[in-house]
Amino acid sequence: MMGEKLTLALPKGRVMEKGLAIFQRAGLKIVVADSSRALRHDAGDVILIEMRNRDIPTYVELGVADAGVVGKDVLSEMESRLFAPVDLGFAACRLSLIRKRGDIGDLYRVASKYPNLAAEYLSRIGSNAEVIKLAGNVELACITGLADAVVDIVETGSTLQDNDLVEIDVILRSSARFVVNRAALKLKADSLRPLIANLKMAVEDQCG
Amino acid sequence: MSRVSTHGVPEGTRYELADSARRRGNVLARLHRLYELWGYARVELPVLEHYDPAHPREPQSFKFSDRDNRVLALRSDFTPALAGLVRHSHSRIAAGSKEPLRLQYAGRVWHAIDPDLARTREFTQIGIELVGISNARADAELIHLARESVRVVDLVPRVEIGNPGFVRALLRLSEIPEKRHGRLADAIDRKDASDIENQLVEQQLAPDLRAAFHKVTELYGRPQVLEEARRAAPWEETMRELDRLEETLAEFEDDSELLLDLGMARRLSYYTGVTFRAYTFDFGQPLLGGGRYDGALLPYAAGFSFGLERLMLALPESKELSRPLVVSLDDAVSRRLRTAGFVVQRALTSDVDAARRDASNRGIPYLFSDTLESLISDPPDKDLLERALNSDDG
Repeated sequence: MMGEKLTLALPKGRVMEKGLAIFQRAGLKIVVADSSRALRHDAGDVILIEMRNRDIPTYVELGVADAGVVGKDVLSEMESRLFAPVDLGFAACRLSLIRKRGDIGDLYRVASKYPNLAAEYLSRIGSNAEVIKLAGNVELACITGLADAVVDIVETGSTLQDNDLVEIDVILRSSARFVVNRAALKLKADSLRPLIANLKMAVEDQCG
Repeated sequence: MSRVSTHGVPEGTRYELADSARRRGNVLARLHRLYELWGYARVELPVLEHYDPAHPREPQSFKFSDRDNRVLALRSDFTPALAGLVRHSHSRIAAGSKEPLRLQYAGRVWHAIDPDLARTREFTQIGIELVGISNARADAELIHLARESVRVVDLVPRVEIGNPGFVRALLRLSEIPEKRHGRLADAIDRKDASDIENQLVEQQLAPDLRAAFHKVTELYGRPQVLEEARRAAPWEETMRELDRLEETLAEFEDDSELLLDLGMARRLSYYTGVTFRAYTFDFGQPLLGGGRYDGALLPYAAGFSFGLERLMLALPESKELSRPLVVSLDDAVSRRLRTAGFVVQRALTSDVDAARRDASNRGIPYLFSDTLESLISDPPDKDLLERALNSDDG
């Protein structure tokens, strides 16, 4: 039996569905009305709050949510120090350096939604290109010539092919992580400890 | 493009208005008193420091030059500042003599960072240091006071205790090159099992040692977890670190508010012994943190510190207001009431109606002109005030 009711932060959309599925396999009873447009659900064993991907580390860090699901890419970009005890395996993708096919010249400008990871990568490879922070459709920067390259997420690679872009280098491999507030792991251990163990098992069952 | 604050103070700083300043003062007073009762003497330290490139917070410090073009820095952390005081004024301790010295401090510190939700550029640190000694009894005293610090402000404490020496011993046993220790320790500290696995995959490791690295992310909870740790890491080097923790815990009659976390591995090269953090329920961030850092700044030293601003956020909303109890037109009566401990403001007019209007507008409970007059319904401390007014010793 679970202890205190947990508050979980989940990103809107597909990751939320997959996240809910894995929590259910881990033994949580979660009921969310399909038609509901609420952002906060009292959903059986847990309270769910829905938000943008990038806001999740903030909510969990400050303890408004006890735990959540967020991509490794976001955690690395934000240099988050949250506990990340379980790799949930889904939403797998890579963060890569991408250029137009045939482009081989020096890098002067690199566009990204991940300015920190991009800058860190560029400095590691000895480039002094400047990083431009964009909000979305980053490939466009490459196609239009706004930048010589972009650092962006690649899932299947089909967007790249359609736009005649090439993945030059993989910077980071990402997938969805179960993250936990530092205080909550200690103070709500009765609920979180078994949940972490069950999530690990649910992930292994899926892989094996 | 620089953002200009519209509030008249630089971003990441703030005015503390009367009610808040009063509450902060009360909290500080309780903490100071607690430490004083345990024999921690209060010291004051300069806000201006010589710039030191080796300072632990060097990247975050505000730096500027004085008239001789020497670089100065604003105080960014009390612990190194206090170590400076010990080196200057207690040179025997700084040279390694074992003489316990208990000190407490409080004051502002400044960090040159982009302020965000959880961090401001100016904040108030309060804390204690116990230097010139390194043993389990000293560690236990600090952990005990960490717990009492939370209790003295009426919160329910939980203190988590770790020993980075345990992770350090595992890393040494593994013969993983030292330049990789930092990243691996960081993954352990975040209990990031998949990151640990990725980093270990290319390492040659004995199976039981590899298993211990994975197990360490689960070694947290009640003090019984020490037994689990002994089974998972049965080597002399790791046992020694667990012994030290056990020795510290043995100092406590009641360990029900203590938790262990053997994965605590932050600032591995700074902390050399126990580290701890205090939490309270329904507040997601640690209230205070500290540990033993022998050899980092002084031969033997340990301590902890609070951020007052965060502590204030953890406290329940208070109805305590900063306002006088009485506005008075009679100076003799005012003197008598103040002697009895009541806050009395002089009316700045001799016109009773104007004084009444002013006091009433400011929500002050009483006016005294010829008699005591209530300005609000159900005013506080009525009996006490009347007793003070009717006493003959004024």
